[in-house]
Amino acid sequence: MGSRSEFSPQTLAVLMALGGQPSEWQHGYALARETGLKSGTLYPILIRLADRGLVEACWQDEPVPGRPRRHLYRLTADGLASATTALAEAELAAAERTASMARPGADLRRRRGVAAPAVP
Amino acid sequence: MSWVSRITATAGRGAVRLVPADRRDWAEAVWAEAHEAPAGWPRLAWRAGGLGLIVKEGQMARTIGSWLLFALTAGAAAWGAWPGSPVSHGAAIQGGIIITLALLAGLPLLARLWLGPPESRAARWLRAGFSAAILALLPIQAAIGLFVGTVPRSGINRHTFDIAIGSGIPGSSSGGPDWGGEIAILIFTACYLAAVLALTARRTPVAPATLVIAAGAGLVLGIVMYAVAPAGLNFRYPYRPGLHGSAAETFVILAWILVFSAPAIAGAIAGRRCHVPDDAVEATAARAWQGFGAGAVSGGVGAVVVTVLGSGTTALLVKSAWVRDWFYHGQHVTASAVYGRELYASQNVQGYLLLAVGFPIIGLIMGVLGAGVTSPAPGLPPGGGRQADAGELTPVC
Repeated sequence: MGSRSEFSPQTLAVLMALGGQPSEWQHGYALARETGLKSGTLYPILIRLADRGLVEACWQDEPVPGRPRRHLYRLTADGLASATTALAEAELAAAERTASMARPGADLRRRRGVAAPAVP
Repeated sequence: MSWVSRITATAGRGAVRLVPADRRDWAEAVWAEAHEAPAGWPRLAWRAGGLGLIVKEGQMARTIGSWLLFALTAGAAAWGAWPGSPVSHGAAIQGGIIITLALLAGLPLLARLWLGPPESRAARWLRAGFSAAILALLPIQAAIGLFVGTVPRSGINRHTFDIAIGSGIPGSSSGGPDWGGEIAILIFTACYLAAVLALTARRTPVAPATLVIAAGAGLVLGIVMYAVAPAGLNFRYPYRPGLHGSAAETFVILAWILVFSAPAIAGAIAGRRCHVPDDAVEATAARAWQGFGAGAVSGGVGAVVVTVLGSGTTALLVKSAWVRDWFYHGQHVTASAVYGRELYASQNVQGYLLLAVGFPIIGLIMGVLGAGVTSPAPGLPPGGGRQADAGELTPVC
């Protein structure tokens, strides 16, 4: 059984979006579009990740005429390492779930403590 | 739609200032990004998320909830205490109620500016407890004042009233507005509240653990004192319906012991729990602060508990027949004797003021002494309190 990830699926989605181009600064609206998260969900996740030192944030240097400066984000080295590990774990867990669902009754037997029948 | 969008944009820009400085960038970021969202519902939804972030990061839900709770409780207390038309000295009571509520609402804001907000849960609970006690005392005080001030129409009660209070017009309220008494109580309330706010503020080096220990000691002291003086305090003619014979003597001795030992023990425990700096002078100051805080808070909590419980019992005695039945259970007391006892109890309630002055003073002396005679527990990890502010003489508790 795969270990349970320390991140929620939404946080994993943000890590995945940021990890796609780890050296590039990205802005909130692009991340929201990529992850499908709303601003009220995305920004608390970014704040928590920044508090843990996994994401760094800065303001755009050069303002674009006609619109305010933008806040930009990218993964730190620690963030990239955490994201890689978490995504690998999530993939492994997903693969295990898929395999478990492919075996009818396997999940039920495991919960009841019954050994699986021997494969001839 | 455009006007809704403009309103949310303006509201959001203003609300960003409510977010703490270290989180403000994030709130501003949401607002900056709103320009990227397509106009209409998507932009509105983006800004709504931003408002949610502001509410959460600004801890506004708790703040708004606290103010709402305060407003409701204060309204109920004022409604219960507001004097009716027959009371001749109603203006003084009304003034007292309004100023008390203004103190409760305004002093915490001033304390926040000068000394910082309360940082720990213990500090917040202690402040809430003291505010609740002050609010509870408003209707209690009003009920007792009305009872003492109303002249009986005739009979033995009138005679008792004349002896205890003095003559007055039957059926009316006695005396004029007692501005002097009201102002004295207001000054007293303001001092108490200011002391509690100062001891629980961030910049005061009293650890949260110290507050918890002191509140516990004060609670024990207050409950024992209530058992000794449940309906007013009178040293010459003490009245303890729940305690008889040796039990009463035991409780009186226990109360006297606790008056001095509860703050001393609280101070000793707080001083021992406190992880003090290596420097000897700073270590002494740190322990003294914990002893001072523990003693003052335990004495204050004890005094407030006995005052609220004792005054509350007296107010219920004069208002509710079932409380009278419970209080005088098993005793053959005539109606006039009951009136006399209630009248004296109502006057003896003022005796609690002595405790409210004396307990914190005794407490802080004993607390400092208690903290002074103990040495800190060896190898205690930081955790008994909060981290010190830089540059202040503060224990790492």
